[in-house]
Amino acid sequence: MKQPTNFSEVFEKITDLKELFQFGEKIIPIFQSLIEFMKDIVPLMENINKSIAESTNKMPSATNQINNVTSATEMATTEILDRVDSISTALINIDNDLTEILKRRAGKKEILDKLKSEINFNDEQLELLGQLYDQDEIDTFLNSIKEKLSLLNDESYQITLALQVQDITSQQLAAVNHLIESVNDKLASLVDDFHNAQIDKKDVDSIEVPESATFDPNARYDKDKSRQNDADDIFNNQQKDKNKDIASQDEIDKLFSGE
Amino acid sequence: MDLKFLVVDDSVTMRRIVVNSLKNLGFNDYVEAGDGEEAFAKLQEDSSINFVITDWNMPNMSGLELSKKIRSTPEFENLPIMMVTTRGVKEDIVDALKAKVNNYVVKPFTPQILKQKIDQILNNL
Repeated sequence: MKQPTNFSEVFEKITDLKELFQFGEKIIPIFQSLIEFMKDIVPLMENINKSIAESTNKMPSATNQINNVTSATEMATTEILDRVDSISTALINIDNDLTEILKRRAGKKEILDKLKSEINFNDEQLELLGQLYDQDEIDTFLNSIKEKLSLLNDESYQITLALQVQDITSQQLAAVNHLIESVNDKLASLVDDFHNAQIDKKDVDSIEVPESATFDPNARYDKDKSRQNDADDIFNNQQKDKNKDIASQDEIDKLFSGE
Repeated sequence: MDLKFLVVDDSVTMRRIVVNSLKNLGFNDYVEAGDGEEAFAKLQEDSSINFVITDWNMPNMSGLELSKKIRSTPEFENLPIMMVTTRGVKEDIVDALKAKVNNYVVKPFTPQILKQKIDQILNNL
């Protein structure tokens, strides 16, 4: 064993040890507090872990519900389209019938005019014939019905067009499902990362998003013409200069910034 | 010119709406496809198709991919293509232009717009 060179060196070491003990006395309560804190925080972390796992498990159910909504609205839309098609067909048939009636009445008017020219009716007979074939009034009435049918047909077509909302909302819902799937994956990996977790990752359900799901996350049902006008501007701009195949990004940027 | 349309959309609803609109405009000859792959197969089967109306977002093969495939096939390189889509941001429109679609309609469309765009394409043929 190596001997200290002098007592002053021994005292220095003792002083160092004393300071170390004094520091230890100060630090021990902090360590104790830290242990107490850890005792408190571990159950809390476990609760958080459990909550995350529970939330994660609810997500597949949410996506299923969204998928069900999409399917239900698609079915309902198809039914509405079927009904609208039936109404349109009926309206067209009625219109064709009215056209046929008007055609036949025109034929009868010809017969009446021929009778009038070939037979000498007295005034009273002519008056009665006129009442019997009040051509103009009835024709006007029938033509008015045809106009109303045409309006109804236009209205039913507008219902058809409004059903574009189904395609647009289904894309929005598919985008939400995609988002939920991403969040679910992140939470599942968080659960996996917790040490000593009571909930295993196998307890977290996975989300099945249909492979065929394709969507535009920005899809919106907006009747504002500006979006179509913007698209038109790009195409029109391209047509101005036929030497160019594609409008440059600068040109498009100018168009969109309204310069 | 007798027109036979190929209406491509994965949404049954949208296909019906486009077909109804075409009928309202007096075009009664059409075939339908649910994605780009099916559409291209129909083009190869039926040489009388002379106008394509396609959606963008579809499974298997998107409308953009379909357009590129049509343009890269010598047999169909001049076939009119109209994109009808919800995608209205400028980058998408530029991509569609690069894929050489003839015109671009943003959903929801009106019959007037549809007619106007079909007429424009036909006038430029």
